[in-house]
Amino acid sequence: MSQKILTRMGDGERLAMDAQEIRDDIRRGTAEAARRAGVPELTEAEQEELFAILAEPGRIVSVEPGREVIVTDDGCSMSFYSGQDGGGVGAPLSRLQAVLTYERACGADTTSMGHSDYSYKPVKPIINFEANDYYNISQVTTAPFLYGAQPNMGLYFQPDGPCANAAELMPLGKIDEARAAQEEACEHLRRDLVFVGRRLAEVGLEGLNFDTCGSAGDADYLAALQAVEELKKDLPDLPIIMGGAGEFVLGMHGGVEYQGRRLAGLYPHEQVKVAEAAGVDIYGVAVSTATTESVAWNLARAVTFVKAASEASSIPVHANVGMGVCGVPMMEQPPIDAVTRVSKALVQIGKADGL
Amino acid sequence: MSEALFQASVDAVVRGDAKKAEELARQGLAEGIEPLVLINQAFVPGINQVGEMFGAGKLFLPELIMSAKAMQAATDIINAAIPEGNAQEGRGRFVIGTVEGDVHDIGKTIVVALLKANGFEVLDLGRDVPTDRLIEEADKFNAHIIGTSALLTTTMPAQQKLEEALKKAGLKGRFKTMVGGAPVTERWAKKIGADGFAEDAGAAVVVAKQLLATN
Amino acid sequence: MHTAHIMASCMGGIRTAGDLVAWMQLTRRMKIHEAKRYVAEKLGVDVFELTDEEIMREIRKDLGLGTVTSIAGSPKGIRAKWRIAELLGVPIRSVQLFRSQLGI
Repeated sequence: MSQKILTRMGDGERLAMDAQEIRDDIRRGTAEAARRAGVPELTEAEQEELFAILAEPGRIVSVEPGREVIVTDDGCSMSFYSGQDGGGVGAPLSRLQAVLTYERACGADTTSMGHSDYSYKPVKPIINFEANDYYNISQVTTAPFLYGAQPNMGLYFQPDGPCANAAELMPLGKIDEARAAQEEACEHLRRDLVFVGRRLAEVGLEGLNFDTCGSAGDADYLAALQAVEELKKDLPDLPIIMGGAGEFVLGMHGGVEYQGRRLAGLYPHEQVKVAEAAGVDIYGVAVSTATTESVAWNLARAVTFVKAASEASSIPVHANVGMGVCGVPMMEQPPIDAVTRVSKALVQIGKADGL
Repeated sequence: MSEALFQASVDAVVRGDAKKAEELARQGLAEGIEPLVLINQAFVPGINQVGEMFGAGKLFLPELIMSAKAMQAATDIINAAIPEGNAQEGRGRFVIGTVEGDVHDIGKTIVVALLKANGFEVLDLGRDVPTDRLIEEADKFNAHIIGTSALLTTTMPAQQKLEEALKKAGLKGRFKTMVGGAPVTERWAKKIGADGFAEDAGAAVVVAKQLLATN
Repeated sequence: MHTAHIMASCMGGIRTAGDLVAWMQLTRRMKIHEAKRYVAEKLGVDVFELTDEEIMREIRKDLGLGTVTSIAGSPKGIRAKWRIAELLGVPIRSVQLFRSQLGI
């Protein structure tokens, strides 16, 4: 009887698989990513290295000494004091205490803060509060301290915002109207992203993070690119991180372009090039985890996308490794056996410059 | 000849050319092709291809909507030619909404589009839909399936609330239920007693068809 | 979960030289190997030593770059970042603002 290897499904469920089953899932996962994105599959040696990471007997694993990378975050310190909505543990800490805890107790390479809604639109009316907190905290942090949130263009559609609801218009066949609504929302979003960036820049902003760009589709992604370009014109020294929302840019509009390139359907190795052209300093690759497939399948797929993006990119590529992303299981408390294997594989095989 | 017509029909659906799809449906019937053969071999492969292309980011929502329209136009013509009593199983009626407290509707919109493209009659209640309303509207619509979407771990319990409300009202057997949304998993579906779970929009169509077949 | 990633893959922030390498990625768009080489050269150490707590703690203490444990009277926060910006030769915007407030 062959020895079983403990692993996980994409929803976090623990299971034991044969070595051959894991190798088969790795092969299927990398082939799926390669077919979709038109990028090379992992080589036999890389697949075997991934198998070895998954098959390591220890509960947790880590990269080899000397191969460590930079870990940026998407509002991690917020999860110290927020409740379930923010994936948080609800500890009674202030923003300042949470950021310093993350920097000093956890040894994070960078820290950040963001509005508890984690969207840029609601920051606008309270920008003075955010600027004040940002400024105060930036005086006592040593590691790079970023401000981050999601563009989240969905907030600009009725009833939350001023634009007709594209998600309602589109299924009714009102394509032109839906596209016009998205273009209008894109313009509102771009303005708000630039507004928040500029105001925080006035108080010494060390870096801005546009997280999960494109969650509302290609026009959402376009707004982020345009905002980066605009901010960089008058603030060339403002570092900006931009992260994707999934392995390809969702074509909710289907026709929007940036510098002559249609955004819908761009895969990570293509996303990173448009981000680079806009002036982004670090690009975050996101790949959705499929809950009905194993971590082996999901991770092989994610590593394939990340590796292609890292090779194509001239700027640092960080793999997004939050809940349900890049092979991390989709559950509120992702198991650390799976999380650390994802971490190691994306760095050592995916050649990510950071996470 | 049929093969050429089948391929042209697939192309018409993929291109979202409703006029051409209608023309080919009429032509197929005029050539004596059995209506059900015509639907299943000329048009269904087209919409399946559209679903796959959408899932892979090779085709986008507006094109998907156009393809759905083309599919609808062709199937309306072909269905009208099916003699009374020989019709294929009735179209599935699907009520869908994002659960109460959740305002995310992008994913649900894609599910609606793909369901329509695959011949379902869909009543889209939008977002932030209270449980009572889902049941009331399903009753009025005489739905086969109630589908709910939840994008947040904090709004997922509303899917459980629907299951409990259906049981309490003695309606659990009348409507099948499907759940989806980013944090929703097969395990959650089983735990709350939902009849189906779909990882993405393409899977939603497959599961809905399976549930319809067991109705 | 972030802590798991930090344990598995992270350079270690101000425990080691993680923040310094992060500044290079952020301000000069350097990929990981180039950023590490740059920082190592500025510190006069081998790249491999950038994540060695035993070496980096002394360097950080000596250069006033901020240490993870609190040392009374030793620079931390904006004062440490000032030193970091000068050491690495990069613009840190909070430091620029601080300097302008001091009229420097």
